[in-house]
Amino acid sequence: MEFLSLFDLTFFLLAAFGTLVGVIFGAIPGMTATMAVAVCLPLTYALGLHHGLALLLGLYVGGISGGMVPAVLLNIPGTPSSITTTFDGYPMARKGQGEKALRICVIASLVGGLISALVLFLFAPVLANFSIKFSYVEKFLIILLALSVIASLSSSMLIGIFSGVIGIWLSLIGDYSISDGGNGHTRLMFDFMEPYLFEGFSLLPVLIGIFGVATILLEAEKGVKSDLTHERVKVSKSDGAGALAAFKGRFTNLTRSSFIGTFVGMLPGVGGSAASVLAYTQEKNLSRDTSQMGKGAPQGLIASESANNALTGGALIPLLSLGIPGDATTAVLIGAFTLQGIQVGPLFIPENTTTWYVMMTALVFANIVMFFLMFYAIKYIAKVVMVPKHILFPLIVMMCVVGAYAINYGIMFDVWTLLIFGVLGYLIQKIGLEVAPLIIGFILGSQAEVYFVKSLESFGTYTIFFTRSPIAMVLWALIAASVLFSIVIRLKARNKTTTQTP
Amino acid sequence: MKIAKRATTLLSVGVAALSLGLGSMAAMADGPLRGNVRVLIGSTSTGGDTYQNASIVAERLAEHLGLNIKVDAVGASSAFRTLSRDSRGNTLMIFHDQSYLGHVYGVQGYDDIFEEYRVGPTLAVNPGNAYLVPKNSPYETLDDIIEAVGNGETVRVAIQPGGVSEIGFSALKNAIALEHPGQEDNLVAINTGSQSDKNQQLFDGQADMISGTLQANEQYTRLPEDDQKAMRFVWLTARQSIMEQSPEEGLGQTSREQLLEYVEPNVQVPMGDGENFTFDKEFFFLYNRDMDPAIVEQIDTALAEIYAEGEIQNVQQSLFFIPNFMPSDEAEAHLHDKMTRYQEIIDNLQ
Amino acid sequence: MASGLSDLLSVSIDFETSHLFFPAIIHWLLAGLFALVLVLKVAPFLAAVKRGERTLPIFGESMDVMRFFGTLALIVAYFYLMAVVGDLFPYTGYGFLFVSMGFVLLMSLLYLHVWSRKNLIIVVVNAVVAPSLAWFVLAKLFTITLP
Repeated sequence: MEFLSLFDLTFFLLAAFGTLVGVIFGAIPGMTATMAVAVCLPLTYALGLHHGLALLLGLYVGGISGGMVPAVLLNIPGTPSSITTTFDGYPMARKGQGEKALRICVIASLVGGLISALVLFLFAPVLANFSIKFSYVEKFLIILLALSVIASLSSSMLIGIFSGVIGIWLSLIGDYSISDGGNGHTRLMFDFMEPYLFEGFSLLPVLIGIFGVATILLEAEKGVKSDLTHERVKVSKSDGAGALAAFKGRFTNLTRSSFIGTFVGMLPGVGGSAASVLAYTQEKNLSRDTSQMGKGAPQGLIASESANNALTGGALIPLLSLGIPGDATTAVLIGAFTLQGIQVGPLFIPENTTTWYVMMTALVFANIVMFFLMFYAIKYIAKVVMVPKHILFPLIVMMCVVGAYAINYGIMFDVWTLLIFGVLGYLIQKIGLEVAPLIIGFILGSQAEVYFVKSLESFGTYTIFFTRSPIAMVLWALIAASVLFSIVIRLKARNKTTTQTP
Repeated sequence: MKIAKRATTLLSVGVAALSLGLGSMAAMADGPLRGNVRVLIGSTSTGGDTYQNASIVAERLAEHLGLNIKVDAVGASSAFRTLSRDSRGNTLMIFHDQSYLGHVYGVQGYDDIFEEYRVGPTLAVNPGNAYLVPKNSPYETLDDIIEAVGNGETVRVAIQPGGVSEIGFSALKNAIALEHPGQEDNLVAINTGSQSDKNQQLFDGQADMISGTLQANEQYTRLPEDDQKAMRFVWLTARQSIMEQSPEEGLGQTSREQLLEYVEPNVQVPMGDGENFTFDKEFFFLYNRDMDPAIVEQIDTALAEIYAEGEIQNVQQSLFFIPNFMPSDEAEAHLHDKMTRYQEIIDNLQ
Repeated sequence: MASGLSDLLSVSIDFETSHLFFPAIIHWLLAGLFALVLVLKVAPFLAAVKRGERTLPIFGESMDVMRFFGTLALIVAYFYLMAVVGDLFPYTGYGFLFVSMGFVLLMSLLYLHVWSRKNLIIVVVNAVVAPSLAWFVLAKLFTITLP
């Protein structure tokens, strides 16, 4: 128990401070958990490994959680993995249940975070061995499964799929990156675009452009009439009890989504936003009543937020037991180790037990701090919607600019991407295409390409997607079920309306 | 009126604060390099060796010159583009051999650095470029592999195409072509991406050998043989003289003595001119072509002084980098030589 | 027969052109879907427009022209000037700081419906304080590179 001596007051203060700063970063549209960890990374030099880790893990948990705030209140995902939170969070906020929605999110986040921490603590090495059973083929099928949500997400299946494929197409612009094993050639662009679009559009500016800037353009078109934002989003009183009641009968959803989040986080390369999308898909497929999902159903929030917080523990599994980061944030986190000259790899946990216990403590502590911090601050946070639009909108644009510019450490084209996708997002909604499937297509498109092409390069036949392994077959069953469910749900809905209308 | 007054006061306070900030910054720097300086690196990772080396040097350079220096991991194509647009010296770049290897392999987005940019001082070497096989592989040594490929066996090597990860593969292929002409095509490249992708190819049985690094793969080599993930080094491409400068305790639990077993002359990859192929990943500055030569001079001098103090070497050594400072002109000649040698190998294979 | 099927499903990808393999599939998919959308959605919609039951998007709708195009123009000017001004003071973030002040002020005024004295004070103070605060915390404390 020698590690107990490492837990001084500074340790806990740093973890709490990290969580607070993380929540603030996550809550500002455009700023993300990854950015919070990246900007504080140099500080860990001075702090030493254990104190540094306390700070960074706090930032990680806080940043992922904070993303729920703008997702619910402003319909802008604060961090890419909170995209599915906007689907039900914003509709709830418009119905005046913003505070309740946020409380539900906070509880779901806590559960997701703790479950994944527990899984990490107990099964990290075993799960790492399981995760390496996933080759390109299985990873492609996971992406395909997550993409299948598109079929059930949209009001018209055809329009939804069409929008999703446009999203995939947009994600392919740029080079077929060498760092993914591609040949580094660019495609889908003219020569003059190459200096700007060599690496394609970055995810974050696309996301905040299509959600943030487009929303502002739509409002501007209407003349920014209601001067107080709260006329759009009413604030009604809500307490913890009301939020807790929303969890009644949602236990399966909560645990399932937490495990999906942990599991997806664990797969190197797949992690990140796919976690919450997949959890949302499965809730939509497996839950008995899904008619309200996408219109303000607490179950959607539970799925999304528990999964994206479960990502934290999940993404640490391959980092600590294979030396491979599970998502973008842990890729930055790995710097905390390498800057101190500590190797992470399959022997990290057995050889650094002290650090391992320290990290677990910091992770659990950060989740608890996050809960209390947010649960009691929600009252005040939700007041953001009381700020008049003529004050709020310019500030949103400004912060989106900072976020876009800073995400790749200072690239001006990322700022222009905001505008391009702001205008695109505006047009898309005007001509009746759907934003959510498009953005999901965009998020998953480039991974789908790499896994698909590399599978075929290795095996040289399309049959490999069916015959590669038992895991592949299970995944196919899930994909088939997912597509089938969405068709059945649609037919049911149609029957209902036809019987009602005559 | 009152409002206007208040606003003016507020503004003037702001302006005063700003000019104070500007003033203090301008006063500190007295060399040709002025204002805030940004060091772009050719990698997008803040956990990788390029970032580590750049931040070690940037921190000391900032202190020495009294400037603000910030390291930004923008990646190769953005870094080159930004660098070529700013000749004032406020934008500098630190990268490694990939900067010219990308050009040698004809990768889109890589120009000839000796033509388009100015090569600055070298800083350090990462001697960790490695090739590994599964622990239960039938191939004990690199010689076994050369022999097997020479006898017509297919050996698949997972690499990331177009640079540092491919150069050892090309050299090996070249060596096979020399010893067993016509058989070199049995050495097949599996083009993959990150280290995790390459490892995965090995675990999947889709590759017989992978390119890796000492730092990322050392722990895998210490796993028991029955572990699916267990690997074994067969080749470290570093020069012997470089590896000998690494800390005696080596890396992780692998001592320097053990590491030297995988380095030439114990492992030989002939280049045909009587010499063995070696590759050390070196980190160096790249400047805008039209940058004031006085700044080149200033950084050279500053770095010479920093390296003379001896503290930076300890930090580099502790992170398993070999200090290797060469002023700009020397560095340029050295790297140009290096490129010419590798160019020959790649030309031979075509 | 079995070998015929496996021949059909076997595929060999040339590395040099592998960057076009997946995009080609997506293009076919897009083209097919687009045709379906045209037939099933767009054609009926246009017919409805012709009958006068529906209106065209954007063109057929009322729009606050000043605010909409004002927003677009302001954003374009904001992004453009930020880089230009920022280039005068390399890597200090002043480009962001000064141009943001102007942008926040003008956009607030554009959206403001009632130009009361109280509102104007708030707008001006906000335009000065908010960018300064963002600049100070991010560029100074966290040393994030800003234009």
